[in-house]
Amino acid sequence: MRIVVCIKQVPSTNEVRLDPETHTILRDGRQSVVNPFDAHAIEEAVRWKEARGGSVLAVSMGIPAVEELLRDALARGADEAVLLTDRAFAGADTLATSRTLAAGIRRAGPFDLILCGKMAVDGDTAQIGPELAEQLGIPHLTDVDAILSVEEGRVTVSRRGENGPETAQAALPALLTLTREINVPRMPDLTGVRRSLTAPFVRWGADDLDVDPARCGLKGSPTQVVRTFVPRRERETVFLEGAPAQQAAQMLEIVREVLS
Amino acid sequence: MGSLLRELTGEYEAYLRDESHTVGRADWIAFPRTEEEVARVLREAWERDIPVTLQGGRTGISAGCVPHGGVVVSLSRMTRAEGCRALDDGRFSFLLQPGVVLSELGKWVESKRFDTRGWDGESLAAYGGFCRAGEFFFSPDPTERSACIGGMAACNASGARSYCYGPVRDHILSLRAVLMDGRTVALRRGERFARGLDFELPCEDGSVLRGRLPGYAMPATKNTSGYYCAPDMDLMDLFIGSDGTLAALTQVEAALLPLPAFQWCVNAYFMEEGQAIAFVKAVRDSVPKAAAIEYFDGDALNILRRQRAENPAFAALPPVPDGAAAAVCVELHDDDRASIQERLFRLGEQLTAAGGREENTQVARTAADVAALKFFRHAVPESVNMLIAQRKKLDPVITKLGTDMAVPDDRLEEVVALYRRGLAETGLQSAVWGHAGNNHLHVNILPRNGDDYRRGKALYADWARAVTGMGGAVSSEHAVGKAKADFLEIMYGPEHIAGMRALKRVFDPKGLLGQDNLFTKEGN
Repeated sequence: MRIVVCIKQVPSTNEVRLDPETHTILRDGRQSVVNPFDAHAIEEAVRWKEARGGSVLAVSMGIPAVEELLRDALARGADEAVLLTDRAFAGADTLATSRTLAAGIRRAGPFDLILCGKMAVDGDTAQIGPELAEQLGIPHLTDVDAILSVEEGRVTVSRRGENGPETAQAALPALLTLTREINVPRMPDLTGVRRSLTAPFVRWGADDLDVDPARCGLKGSPTQVVRTFVPRRERETVFLEGAPAQQAAQMLEIVREVLS
Repeated sequence: MGSLLRELTGEYEAYLRDESHTVGRADWIAFPRTEEEVARVLREAWERDIPVTLQGGRTGISAGCVPHGGVVVSLSRMTRAEGCRALDDGRFSFLLQPGVVLSELGKWVESKRFDTRGWDGESLAAYGGFCRAGEFFFSPDPTERSACIGGMAACNASGARSYCYGPVRDHILSLRAVLMDGRTVALRRGERFARGLDFELPCEDGSVLRGRLPGYAMPATKNTSGYYCAPDMDLMDLFIGSDGTLAALTQVEAALLPLPAFQWCVNAYFMEEGQAIAFVKAVRDSVPKAAAIEYFDGDALNILRRQRAENPAFAALPPVPDGAAAAVCVELHDDDRASIQERLFRLGEQLTAAGGREENTQVARTAADVAALKFFRHAVPESVNMLIAQRKKLDPVITKLGTDMAVPDDRLEEVVALYRRGLAETGLQSAVWGHAGNNHLHVNILPRNGDDYRRGKALYADWARAVTGMGGAVSSEHAVGKAKADFLEIMYGPEHIAGMRALKRVFDPKGLLGQDNLFTKEGN
């Protein structure tokens, strides 16, 4: 069984800090991390490989530094990795990204299953999985919290439907998006870390793929970002002291101030 | 001005105990918010001859803040950072009230969000620099993150990373303190030293304290057993680790370190304890600058196996490999990726040489994995505390008997053999874990009944004698408090305890502050 896992690089924190003097956003330089949902996809793929044989391919579209995250997936048990990286891919929305991923996966050869996290924690769209399946013309099942079986050309899963848990089936090859409940990801061991340095790893750009550059990256993205900003939030805690009557009077004063 | 002392009624019952689970007694309690209020409370108690017990986060396990009568002075509401300083070497320090909680400080530093209200221009300018500079951290990391900075200074707390970065003492640049009679003292590191063993310390009102330090030699190990005393010492060090017996700390200036770009952590499992100890020694000798070298014995691992299988709250624990009888957790910090990777692989070679296997490791290189191994480390003491709480219901005399002793580097195998012999001879249940890099293992005796508890205490005292004989310390990070006063006497002998009493009298002639910490009040 050949399993493809899609992973995305996300910022390690969603906290935004501002310089107290210039009020500009401070870049904290903290490392980017693999999208936490995708970590469960890697684990699930490796478990099925261990149980049934086969191989696991980790795929990502991103900047060259994403190599580090793909190598981490190799350390955790993936067998090969593909990084789709090109200036032409930059600024992609989910549609353009799914086209590029589909092209990369097509080039990587036949597969039985594609596993994705159910969404990325930075964009929160949960669109890539379904879009990628549509691009490849294969069925997909979202919000999967257990893969029950893979046999006779079908995958059976339990998923969180809108009306509660349900069992669903799809013909292979299929794409699944996974919840965090599906497993507890393992840590790599030292042999895995060593292996990750020498395992097969390729980088493909736009020229290596069968893609129309006009349908990739910012150019190929119908989504337009008009403005980004940090919502202003102010909170202050005030302890009121004194007798109950005094405290009530202070409270009244504060309420008046807020309402005025 | 009215008294700040309130009657200690039932609602304040929690302030009669700490994590040692011993319960004290007190008549009053006070919650000062400023140094001036601390001075008022202490002066009033001094004038009325009322004993004072200082409290912070009440997370100590040596009963240092458990009151033996009088008034409890809780500094837990002094929770503000009062200023920031830019240091010459590009680092920063913060002036903290004693009640600042470690986990809060961590959040402020990480998010670079301090409450700067009331800071002067110089502090605000330094703070602006801090916000624009790279990332920093406060290195002392006692497992209990709800400890507060005043308490940490009072017991010279450390934690796993003190193997590399040293105890809290090494990260305090200045102190403000209030004496029992209300006088205040300000000290900055490197400014005021003893002359030989004699010292003079001016108070801010112009008066001068004069005294003589006890002449004992402190062990060359991690140590928080009694007062820090050495010829020509920096007098600020007297207050750090003084167990709340000399003065109330009202401001602690904590220095930050630059955060290493890479913080990796490796759990290595071994089938035999001897292999793990050999690995610890090899890492110490050949892998420079490990941030921490922590140890877990087979009993500790079994507790984790059980918790992971039975308790949903521990289900996310990394699995312990079958047959593993010991684990060593090594933390590596580095600013260079190639360098840390090279050190990681060297660890692999060392653990193979010690008899381990690279397959039996967990390598944490991402924040999520590092957090999982931290959870693993913290789950051990937490699980043991849960176990003891269950047993205490059967026999209230039972409490955890946890040792806190360290020995010099060349005595590591000898001290492990000492513990194993004692445990085998008594048949007591135990779990051993701790800071193997510093030869500082916490042997936790897990009494099943009152008899076990008494035998465990006797064994503990035997070990205190043997460890003293090895040139070790009876308390290395938890401080002496009330729980380990007997061991302090074993370690230093009656003559030096008398010297400590004399030193205390210089600061607190009536003997009102922190009664029964370090040694019992004379005449008792």
